[in-house]
Amino acid sequence: MGNPFAAGPASRIAWSWLVSIVFLVTIQLGYAEDEKPETRQALASAITSTGDEQARIIDGLAETGSPLVRQILVSWPRGEIFLYTDPAGTIIPVTLDADQDGAGKAKAKRIDTGVWLTDAAGQPLTFTSQELKLAETDSKLRKLIRNTLDLLTLADPQPANRVSAVMKLGLAQKPANLAVLEARVDKEKDKKVQKALAEAIALIQLKNTDPKIQAAAVSKLADLHSISSLDIVKGVAADKTADPAVTAAATAAVKSINGYIQVVNFFGTIFRGISLGSILLVVALGLAITFGLMGVINMAHGEIMAIGAYTVYVVENVFGRGLDLSPFGMRISIPGLNATGAFYESYFLFSLPIAFLVAAVVGILLERGVIQFLYKRPLESLLATWGVSQVLQQLYRLIFGAANVQVNSPRWLSGNFTFSDVIFGYNRLFVIAFAALIVFGTWLLLTKTPLGLLIRAVMQNRSMASCMGVRTERVNMLTFGFGSGLAGLAGAFLSQIGNVGPSLGQNYIVDCFMTVVLGGVGSIFGTVCSAIGIGVVDQSLQQILLNPVMGKIIVLAAIILFLQWRPAGIFVTKSRSLEG
Amino acid sequence: MNQIFSRKEGIAVLICAVLAIVVVPSLNAFTPAGSFLHISDFSINQWGQYLTLAILAVGVDLLWGYTGLLSLGQCLFFALGGYALGMHLMLLIGKLGQYKSDLPDFMVFLGYQKLPAHWEPFHSFWFAAAMTMLVPGIVAFVLGFLTFRSRIKGVYFSILTQAVTYAACLLFFRNEFTFGGNNGLTDYKFILGHDIRSAATQRGLYIVSAIVLLLVFLFCRWLISTKFGKIQRAVRDSETRVLFSGYAAANYKLFVFVISAMIAGIGGALYVPQVGIINPSAMSTEKSLEVIVWVAVGGRATLVGPIVGAICVNALKSWATTKYPDFWPIMLGGLFIIVVLFLPKGIVGIPGQIIAMLRKKETAPEGGAISSPTAAPEVKP
Amino acid sequence: MKKLFFTLLLALVAVVNSLQAQETVKVGVLHSLSGTMAISETSLRDVLLFAFDEINASGGVLGKKIQPIVVDGASNWPLFAEKAKQLLEQDKVAVTFGCWTSVSRKSVLPVFEKDNGLLFYPVQYEGEELSKNIFYTAEAVNQQAIPAVDYLLDQGKKKFYLIGTDYVYPQTTNLVLLEYLLSKGIPIENIGGGLRKEGDKVVSAGKYTPFGHTDYQQIVSEIKQFAASGDACVINTINGDSNVPFFKEYSASGLTADDCPVVSFSLSEDEFRGLPAKDLVGQLGCWTYFMSIDTPANKKFIADFQKWLSSTNVPGIVKEKRVTCSPMVLSYDGVYLWKAAVEKAGTFDVDKVRDVLESGSISFDGPGGKVTMQKNHHVTKTVYIGETKADGQFKILKTYTDVYGEPFLKGTFAKK
Repeated sequence: MGNPFAAGPASRIAWSWLVSIVFLVTIQLGYAEDEKPETRQALASAITSTGDEQARIIDGLAETGSPLVRQILVSWPRGEIFLYTDPAGTIIPVTLDADQDGAGKAKAKRIDTGVWLTDAAGQPLTFTSQELKLAETDSKLRKLIRNTLDLLTLADPQPANRVSAVMKLGLAQKPANLAVLEARVDKEKDKKVQKALAEAIALIQLKNTDPKIQAAAVSKLADLHSISSLDIVKGVAADKTADPAVTAAATAAVKSINGYIQVVNFFGTIFRGISLGSILLVVALGLAITFGLMGVINMAHGEIMAIGAYTVYVVENVFGRGLDLSPFGMRISIPGLNATGAFYESYFLFSLPIAFLVAAVVGILLERGVIQFLYKRPLESLLATWGVSQVLQQLYRLIFGAANVQVNSPRWLSGNFTFSDVIFGYNRLFVIAFAALIVFGTWLLLTKTPLGLLIRAVMQNRSMASCMGVRTERVNMLTFGFGSGLAGLAGAFLSQIGNVGPSLGQNYIVDCFMTVVLGGVGSIFGTVCSAIGIGVVDQSLQQILLNPVMGKIIVLAAIILFLQWRPAGIFVTKSRSLEG
Repeated sequence: MNQIFSRKEGIAVLICAVLAIVVVPSLNAFTPAGSFLHISDFSINQWGQYLTLAILAVGVDLLWGYTGLLSLGQCLFFALGGYALGMHLMLLIGKLGQYKSDLPDFMVFLGYQKLPAHWEPFHSFWFAAAMTMLVPGIVAFVLGFLTFRSRIKGVYFSILTQAVTYAACLLFFRNEFTFGGNNGLTDYKFILGHDIRSAATQRGLYIVSAIVLLLVFLFCRWLISTKFGKIQRAVRDSETRVLFSGYAAANYKLFVFVISAMIAGIGGALYVPQVGIINPSAMSTEKSLEVIVWVAVGGRATLVGPIVGAICVNALKSWATTKYPDFWPIMLGGLFIIVVLFLPKGIVGIPGQIIAMLRKKETAPEGGAISSPTAAPEVKP
Repeated sequence: MKKLFFTLLLALVAVVNSLQAQETVKVGVLHSLSGTMAISETSLRDVLLFAFDEINASGGVLGKKIQPIVVDGASNWPLFAEKAKQLLEQDKVAVTFGCWTSVSRKSVLPVFEKDNGLLFYPVQYEGEELSKNIFYTAEAVNQQAIPAVDYLLDQGKKKFYLIGTDYVYPQTTNLVLLEYLLSKGIPIENIGGGLRKEGDKVVSAGKYTPFGHTDYQQIVSEIKQFAASGDACVINTINGDSNVPFFKEYSASGLTADDCPVVSFSLSEDEFRGLPAKDLVGQLGCWTYFMSIDTPANKKFIADFQKWLSSTNVPGIVKEKRVTCSPMVLSYDGVYLWKAAVEKAGTFDVDKVRDVLESGSISFDGPGGKVTMQKNHHVTKTVYIGETKADGQFKILKTYTDVYGEPFLKGTFAKK
């Protein structure tokens, strides 16, 4: 393989370490050890008390402005606060330390004092999360916590958090909050938060009785392109009792905001189209090699993707608590590393090369066992590999169970950033970069390496290459292994956005073949174009028709009609062979 | 070679036909239950279903075995035939449905006030019967015309038919498409004035299926013995040479595709009253691939093979899904891999393969190295 | 002497065997153990076998041991009909427990009516059906969707986004919900997902995706805009696998249960095993049973089931990480309702058992609370609203007791 492949994963791992170190540092900074005792006491009683008492204490916590309060209030609904009942029967709220020992036990820190829980001898007590009772929250309690957090968040270091808090306070339209928000305006330096503050203030001003202020507020919202306030502005526009000037301003505002939404949707659709296209590209690239270059119709392609996805599942569990499997009545127990924090979050990066290798090995076995006998009979390779796909699917059921398995995305892949109301998910950005990387790697391999030369030679004319002394069997095997490895990588990525189960591959197989056929069999560049094209068209149709089913049907119909015009796809590989 | 059957074959076909059409139903109707010779209503119904699937398989063989076109959309045509008859049967339910309305139940709860216009003519049995062949035929004609005209062939044809089937399947799943969505058409009560669930009607349907299968078989047999059949096989073996010889290969392919679709439609129409339901999952690509399995297992380009294959695989399926539900897909998949790799001629080809092997053993020591034409031409460096 | 002893012993075994053969009653289990629906249905097979073993251990039904006949519908609807025929005509079972999807039920319905069989159906469905041969222990729409909406209205939600898979259950449920929401004074523009009209009549409400859909970007961004103005929620009738990409996309876009909760009708504890639980914390579910119900009956049920799992040697049963869920418990309840009816009737005769079941006097204190069979073949039961926790369990937020099952709801809510 070419050097870029070696460099790729290594640099990515380094990058993830860097990210995770920064992450760790911020967490550590979050814990202010020298917190005021009364704040800690208030926090503890907020957790242990109930009813109105609890509501009062939680409201009161907003005034502390303490990072610890934020820390605890954030982790509480997440189920990271536990209740320890000491021998005397007192309930003590605690947090568990991130450092776990081999048995998954960790030290517990008292929220009311900030010291470790100890036994009578002064030795720290350790627990697993199962041993302690969880401090439960319900949605009413969470709403209270939210409100306090929103108020606390007005001074949050993260601008995104400030924006969300400001908007929540604005949409509540409580005149009481106006002063707090206005006080923030001068202090705020961040552009986005400034915009949110203006929106929130305008929203609250709509409740003002003076029509002039109302009209100004409406126009302000229109200028700010405030999507959040669209419903409220619509309400104002439809309000028959309102001042005519206000109604007119509101009607204009609705039009202006709707126009802005159109623009947001347009760019959003393009991004979503490219990201869908990248997914198609990632899943179809392996097929572009095995089908496009080698002419093997591998109906088990989807099942090889599933291998990649299951590999991620196994790796995630090995990084975590280990895994018990019971295939064919046997019991297999794979021990876990019990990793936490950044190391755990990086499991996905480790699983990528493993998924590639495992899938490649299975692919090579498949090639040696079945496909090598069928190079002259492509239609029958379709049939035999369909048989293989049935067998593999059932094997997954027997090994991993019929149900889908649970794969949790690492934190750095979940979440998003928003630019001008267009959402860019991290996983979506990742897949676009990932697709670009593997296409580039494949291109390098095929055009710049000796192996690539051999691959192209064998694919063009197997017998001729063989006569020239090329060990075609080996090249076939390696090419098929490479294509399968790419499928494994695709499956590994799919585990982050979709379900991991025995029939994972079935959802993609028709799309895969269509992508390759449309792009022009044998042309990697064609596959890229068709994948992105299908992605963008599909998303646009969904946006226009507002109906995903019809969108999908129309895309399929359009591809079939397109092939009337260009039967060999977008990019035709020129060949002198008659039977092509 | 204008003779369709050799004398021996003719007798064999006659015996099988008499067995299937006369003897089996008689054993069901005229022997007391519990007797040694009795065939239960359940078995008759099941065999009736197998026979309709065999009709579908013969059509696939005509297309794949003799013309080399591997269509993954044959189940679409099968289902279309089924839907055409199913629509008629739905209208015969009349006021006996859940809502005591003239409309089929699913239309009542989707809020239809009157029957959609395209359902109206299906009140007539003969119209519906004609549609079971015409609709698949027309769809196949349009699809075939488009694909063969632009010379889409081989695996591309397979992939395209797969995509069309998938799209059609999605379309039929929709409630708005007026064919009952996912729940499909079901709960039939009558056919041609008879109670569809009575044993006698089911026996009648079995006999009709058997006769139709015989007719379809004879028709295909006749077709391949004509000059047309020769061209058909020539297209399979080398389309380019056929083209260069001045034949419009596309027209021949189109004709066979349409015929095969119509055969599938008839099969579907006979299948639906016997199994009592048609829904979009009947037209999934998976089902089409299963049909290919039957043909391959039975032996392709034999016309007898598909019938054997359809019956054997389905009987095996009925048995294995009861005994070994967990291992059924592995058995099916494994069977298929073995057939493709080791038994290219299927079950009916096994005797021939054994004879060939024995001969090879006898001659090999004397004749020295006999190069087999199927051996891989690759030379190891 | 030895020889004689062995002969006697053999004879004894033969007698016992034949006695046993007389002392059994055949019961059918008709679920998909392979194919796409195996994910959900195998659990029901497991709990049914558990219930039979439990009953057999305590003496059987009318002194007869239950002999289960398990057949695989293989997610193949015509095969369901064939297997139903086999159970009724060849095995002559006294009762059948089975089916998950509506289409499988529709496919076996004519068979059960023709052969006068008895089917217990345990999975939440769209209603609009009532066969004299089927007893629906399942949740009707008014035992799941309506209480869930009531709860959301109670929480001050004003905007409802309807999303589902494109088939009968979601569409029918959403049509009923549309009528219900309008009757509760929710303006039609606050119902998201889209309306389809034929003339003036709304024929369909909500957004629908094909089976096996994997790309929810567009829909989630639409929901995000819909929810931007607050007080919104999503009513999710997406089927099976597609829930994973939906929820992953949902949480990646920054929507949380606090901003805009999703209430799902097809996600029980069993499905949660395959979902990224931490992306779903706080989302809502509505069922007639949750594994977390804190009653002695439920705790005993779970403990007994786990014990049975670890000791059973039926092939193909997954033993790790097993949970219990509403369809499983409704299957289990069905077995005991049937047992009670048979014992009251004193016979396995279908017509007599049906008469007893229809009398409204048959009830059973199941793990999820008391269930009573009604005259209309549906079941009065307790309905719970729960929210999901990080461990894949539900925390119960609200309980509605004695909810009457009503299959025909369309057109029953007058617009105010």
